[in-house]
Amino acid sequence: LRMVHYKLTYFDLRGRAESIRQVFAYAGVAFDDVRIPRDKWPELKPQTPFGQLPLLEVDGAPIAQSTAILRFLGKQFELTGKTPLEQAKLDMVVDQMNDFAADIKQFMMVSIGFAQGDKEALYKDLFLPNRDKHFALLVKNITGDFILGHITWADIHLANSLEGLVSKMPDVLDGFPSLKAYMERVHNTPRLRAYLSTRPAAPF
Amino acid sequence: FSAISQSTMPAYKLYYFSIRGLGEVPRQILALADVKFENVGITKEQWPEFKSKTPFGQMPVLEVDGKQIPQSFAIARYVASQHGLAGKTPFEAAWVDALADQYKDFNNDFKKFFYLVLGFGEGDLEAAKLEHGIPARDKFFPLVVKQLKSNGTGFLVGDSVTWVDVLYAEGSSRVAHEVPGFLDDYPEVLEHAKKIHAIPQIKKWIEARPV
Repeated sequence: LRMVHYKLTYFDLRGRAESIRQVFAYAGVAFDDVRIPRDKWPELKPQTPFGQLPLLEVDGAPIAQSTAILRFLGKQFELTGKTPLEQAKLDMVVDQMNDFAADIKQFMMVSIGFAQGDKEALYKDLFLPNRDKHFALLVKNITGDFILGHITWADIHLANSLEGLVSKMPDVLDGFPSLKAYMERVHNTPRLRAYLSTRPAAPF
Repeated sequence: FSAISQSTMPAYKLYYFSIRGLGEVPRQILALADVKFENVGITKEQWPEFKSKTPFGQMPVLEVDGKQIPQSFAIARYVASQHGLAGKTPFEAAWVDALADQYKDFNNDFKKFFYLVLGFGEGDLEAAKLEHGIPARDKFFPLVVKQLKSNGTGFLVGDSVTWVDVLYAEGSSRVAHEVPGFLDDYPEVLEHAKKIHAIPQIKKWIEARPV
């Protein structure tokens, strides 16, 4: 059995690569976790399919777009739904969370200093209403321990997304105890607990 | 014979407003897959009550055997993957997904201009075109041309049509129709849309569709 070689390229940040790293960690599969400095990016950019990171190379063949990468690895490592309908459920929840991220993007950019704006006003008028709407949908659609009856790439991704918000806004899950419990449940699985206790620090 | 095939066929119902919008790609995938489905148009008056019955308070929603799937890409992938329209290998499927997500990223910027073109929302059309429309277009479409050329089959991924071809063809043809000349610098993209829309099942759907 030949081992597939995986190489993940991203910046030295959690960002859009962290869920992918955690899927590898959960599956116990080795990969090259390449973190490039910002000043190396301009020369690498045109060599990537979409001029963006993260990029996964599977025996040298590139795949772009973090969600596509996650879904691909989920299938490879059997961390996905067992039927098309189950897989569709994972897709729908993750797509909804991605919609949420797009909706609050302006606030997040200002919040981490990548754009100008009134952070307080955006927090009140953009972030909070969207948070309330989308978190209520998550609560409605995650009725068991995980989205399906077993942990999948989508749970690892969602728990990481929630944790990313908590790291910037510690009270963001107040009022959503089941989501807090869900995030902690995913992060308390042995491999992820080990991974989280040893991962490199990064601002986001 | 037809009674047997009807009882083994899943009953598909697609719920959306009676516009193309986000419902059009799922409809075209169902048509392309030759899958019988009920195309349910929800009116503005019916929507508030129906909304609470959907998983995410949004449409489109596909109902299959009484179970619901929201999110247009999840629906497209679900139908496509069961009919050989989602890439022939896991790697191809990943590329179909990546191209779909790249399109969504593009649209999240582009819609700040395009929604004004379609008459939704308020704003300065010319300013939005300069600030959002043109930059989003010129960042995204060169990648599409690059992908079409490097794949070399006339389709975006592999050597046969996938659901992401349908997504791109609907998107680019809509833009070219609503903003004449806007994609003239990207003839390969317009050619791709023509090729996809010439596929018999899609051609038939487009000719017969209500909107």
